[in-house]
Amino acid sequence: MFDEIDPRNPIPLYDQIAARIRLAVASGDLAEGDALPSVRQLAARLRINPATVVQAYRALEREGFVEMRQGSGTYVRSVSTDRRRQTREDQAARLARDLLTEAARLGIAGTEVARALQREMGARAQ
Amino acid sequence: MFAAICRIQWKASALGVALLATLAFIIPLLTVQQAGFSAGDRRGWDLIVMLSAVETAGTLFPILAVILGLTLSVGAWSADHQAEHVYALTLPVPRWHYVLLRFGAGLLLIAPVVAAVGLGCAVALGSFDLPAGLRSYGGAITLRFALAAAVSYAATFALAAGTKRTTAAVVGVLTAVIVLALVLEAFGVSTAVAEGIMNAIFTRPGPFEVLVGPWSLIGV
Amino acid sequence: MSYAIETQELQYRAGRTFELGPLNLHVPAGAIYGFLGPNGSGKTTTIRLCLGLLRAERGGVRVLGHDVPSQAPAMFARVGYVPERSHLYPNLTVREALALHGAFHRRWDHQAAAELLGTFQLQGDTRIGRLSKGENGKLLMLLALAQRPDLLVLDEPTDGLDPVVRRDVLMALIDFVSESGATVFISSHLVHELERICDWVGVMDRGRLVAEVPMHSFKNGIKRLRVRNAPAQAGDPPFVLLARERGDGASGTEVWVVRGWQATMRQYFEGIGAVLQDVVDLDLEEGFVELLRTARVPRGS
Repeated sequence: MFDEIDPRNPIPLYDQIAARIRLAVASGDLAEGDALPSVRQLAARLRINPATVVQAYRALEREGFVEMRQGSGTYVRSVSTDRRRQTREDQAARLARDLLTEAARLGIAGTEVARALQREMGARAQ
Repeated sequence: MFAAICRIQWKASALGVALLATLAFIIPLLTVQQAGFSAGDRRGWDLIVMLSAVETAGTLFPILAVILGLTLSVGAWSADHQAEHVYALTLPVPRWHYVLLRFGAGLLLIAPVVAAVGLGCAVALGSFDLPAGLRSYGGAITLRFALAAAVSYAATFALAAGTKRTTAAVVGVLTAVIVLALVLEAFGVSTAVAEGIMNAIFTRPGPFEVLVGPWSLIGV
Repeated sequence: MSYAIETQELQYRAGRTFELGPLNLHVPAGAIYGFLGPNGSGKTTTIRLCLGLLRAERGGVRVLGHDVPSQAPAMFARVGYVPERSHLYPNLTVREALALHGAFHRRWDHQAAAELLGTFQLQGDTRIGRLSKGENGKLLMLLALAQRPDLLVLDEPTDGLDPVVRRDVLMALIDFVSESGATVFISSHLVHELERICDWVGVMDRGRLVAEVPMHSFKNGIKRLRVRNAPAQAGDPPFVLLARERGDGASGTEVWVVRGWQATMRQYFEGIGAVLQDVVDLDLEEGFVELLRTARVPRGS
């Protein structure tokens, strides 16, 4: 789940981690009651500053995705279907935004991107 | 901490100490044998020859003591020289404390060689009957050896700690002084200064008096 | 804010050409502070000065509240040091080195040392002089960590190590930091490695501290702007213009390297009749390179 954390991406590391967990919850990969890796474990595994992991977990706690229990760890909370849908929509919106920005940088119009998207989706359906 | 330093210093000096201890044990035995005390009957003028042989052999003791002192000094600092002293400077003890630990560890390592001297003397002296009128000095020799080794160790310890440059400088100065004194001596110019210095060092109460005193295992 | 390391107008000279300082370094307690700089910029010298291994000409150093070098021994009881080159006695075995180190450090954790020996796969009876570079690096980190220090000073700890060893060493470091909250001062020119773990960054260049900022502001701080039709004299920008160069592509395109950029500053370009085509984020390495490049060019040229 965390293999592609990229420190070179302008999106802060804690945000990248939080986003992954958010999506895992939204898609059902992480269910209510599941334990997230401990700060120590995750920081060591990813070789990042433990404060970054704490920041990610705290952000998720504020949003209501997880709860940090003193002494035992961080656990996933139950998340409504609406909430999950919203999360997926937010992520899709982000992807769209990034795609269009990149396209603009390369000088490709939004309509051209949309057409390519349709074609690609059609090809995949088959 | 002291135990830890002792352990690593022993590792650095073990071979030298073992070798010197073996020699220390053998010298009294050889002395007694070469002088002829273990042979059968002794009389009159033979004793004078034998005693002077013992006296000559006795000069090996101070030489061994000085070598021991030097060996232990080198052993005390060889590891630090190899590691360029950085490790010792990052230990949580003041420099003087560390130096003291090193010094103490080396001093302790004199003991096995002193024990070898004592044992050698005891065995050598126990192998025959002392003729009337002669006395043995096994205990005194052992003590004197211990002191001589300690003094040599202390004298060379500071030098061994220094950089090659300072060591070379000190040795150079000493050599120059000695050479100068000898040259002047050869030209018949008696240098009261050189003699004064030599007296101060090598006669009581100078520190190195212990090296030039009597070293005969058997005497009158 | 309390500082794990702070220097005050620290100055040092070696020979006729090498000059360091005046240096005002501030490493916040609890931070993982990355000390960046090209080779020869004075990183190792600074570290040695901070630990009292070199004597400064002028200025002061305090490490964990202790004056250096007058209170250096007390300081070393709480500081784990990994030097650039191994300082261990080459004739000792790994086990003997551990015993020696443990005898001098009150907080030595035997169990942690034993665990790390296993994690790092070091054999107890190998002579230190015979260890490979990677094994040496691991041993140095092991000794520093098993000491349970309040501050770790690491001078290029992973330099020359293969990626597997590097990962092992960093994981052990972060594992310790997670549970202890110790401060880490790590110098390296492996910028990508520092990018992941550091929350503060100090940049050295030619003996001077060129920047000392939290990591996020360093990374966000410098950007490359692609600008079209900018007038030759563009006065009074709201950001700091570090460099302005011809871009490749259509004529009239320029690349502006700026510091302190904010999105609202787009209006500035409209104001001068230019078109801001693009804002490019720089990763730590590029930001570092740009910072050095522009720091070296004298002002006004």
